[in-house]
Amino acid sequence: MRKSGSADFVYIISDALSSLKESKGTTALTSLTLGFSLAIFSLFVFVISNLNGVMEGWGEKTQIVVYVKDNVSSAEAMKDSIMKVAGVRGAEFVSKEKALSELKGALKGYEGILEGVDANPLPASFEIKVLEENNSPEGIAKVVGELKARDWAEDVQYSREWVEKLASFIKFMKIAAIGVGVFLGAATLFIMSNTIRLAVYARRSEIEIMKLVGASDMYVRAPFVIEGAVQGLFGGILAFAILAAGRAAIIGQVPSYLAFALEMPFPVPVFLLALIMAGVVMGVAGSLISMNRFLDV
Amino acid sequence: MIQMFHVSKSYEGGVPALADITLKIGKGEFLFITGPSGAGKSTLLKIMFGSEPPTQGQLILDGRNYIKIPQPELPALRRRIGFVFQDFKLLPNKSVFDNVALSLKVMGIPPSDVKRRVARMLTYVKLQHRANFKPLQLSGGEQQRVAIARAMVKDPAIILADEPTGNLDPELSVQIIELFKEVNSRGTTVVIATHDKALIEKYARRTIALEGGRLVNA
Repeated sequence: MRKSGSADFVYIISDALSSLKESKGTTALTSLTLGFSLAIFSLFVFVISNLNGVMEGWGEKTQIVVYVKDNVSSAEAMKDSIMKVAGVRGAEFVSKEKALSELKGALKGYEGILEGVDANPLPASFEIKVLEENNSPEGIAKVVGELKARDWAEDVQYSREWVEKLASFIKFMKIAAIGVGVFLGAATLFIMSNTIRLAVYARRSEIEIMKLVGASDMYVRAPFVIEGAVQGLFGGILAFAILAAGRAAIIGQVPSYLAFALEMPFPVPVFLLALIMAGVVMGVAGSLISMNRFLDV
Repeated sequence: MIQMFHVSKSYEGGVPALADITLKIGKGEFLFITGPSGAGKSTLLKIMFGSEPPTQGQLILDGRNYIKIPQPELPALRRRIGFVFQDFKLLPNKSVFDNVALSLKVMGIPPSDVKRRVARMLTYVKLQHRANFKPLQLSGGEQQRVAIARAMVKDPAIILADEPTGNLDPELSVQIIELFKEVNSRGTTVVIATHDKALIEKYARRTIALEGGRLVNA
């Protein structure tokens, strides 16, 4: 006859605590495996997020330059006309004067080249950015075609090769990231489920005995779930510590062009919480799945 | 209390362990099941306990008819039955006290009651001085008494014991059967599987014999 639910709760918690105490070695090993597996997977997510950010930054750069004829139309009117072109996100006017001063800046030390040039020979221009959905070789070609048709446009330039290379590189990186991510995710799950399975297997006779004296499945499962959660919690914290320590150790030694890989893609508390949650979910799920086959006694 | 009708059990490959067993055990009865090794004694007890489903036949336990005991009902049934296993099935990393207490804890008995009842039961089986020992620090006879204490502490309606005197000397065997006799005198049905003929003769209780999975007297 069942007597008390609160007594069950007390027993479940005390069983879980005493079992954690008794199997310190197994708990530490499982937490360690969880921690390292999560750290490897997170490192991958970390690098991919940063790489994605960098690639998006490249895409943000000016993609099209329209050089305009002198004294044909006002800058405002031309800008309005550009903004009406489907796919254009923004246009920045570079006046003849600004173009010249930028050139002078670029020729620092060789200003003599410009001696004797009285009138400003440089055309004014618009630096144009396109919307993300048009940020493909085809989308940009369409915008360029429309801009060329404007009668005030002298010339339209864009780096076709650069746009196409960037697009195919981003596409490749996305496919590679999914492939490596799936592979790493599967390997992480495999390692963790096997570690937990071994830990549960070592205690199969305990599960059997509890069932034989009349314990319900819930009663048998609960301490394992709590232990799985605790191991996951430690694993998550450990993964964070490994990543933070690794980052701190190499942060000053990475060449500047690779420094982007060490940027924090997420706020630190979010990252820590995500790692702990991933650890707890995996620890609990691993325990539940691993012990199920021993419950049929 | 326990009724079996034409119960048969065969394992994978068709090896028959029990064949056509019809048996009735009354409330408060004390019964020996005897027979040579491999006769089917353990299988018969396991079917009564619900840990082995019969291949054929029906089982009535406490007025309920089971063809196969449904999984969700097993815990409740097992809390009413105390099983003494041939290999004791004690938790090696738990103390004697905790092993006996397990029976009561899974029933949700409050901790203060558990403490009182386990202490009383350990005194009853003369193991009060071993309460904090681990099973592997005990002799075979002492481990056997821990297993019996765990089965008895919950005041079950039925006690099933599989070779409870299997590895014990005659003097200890008698002590253990005396424990069962005492609990039986308080109304608990006791079923003991044993091949110890001397013990059966000494106690002169109802005895059924199995041979090759068949009942040879009832």
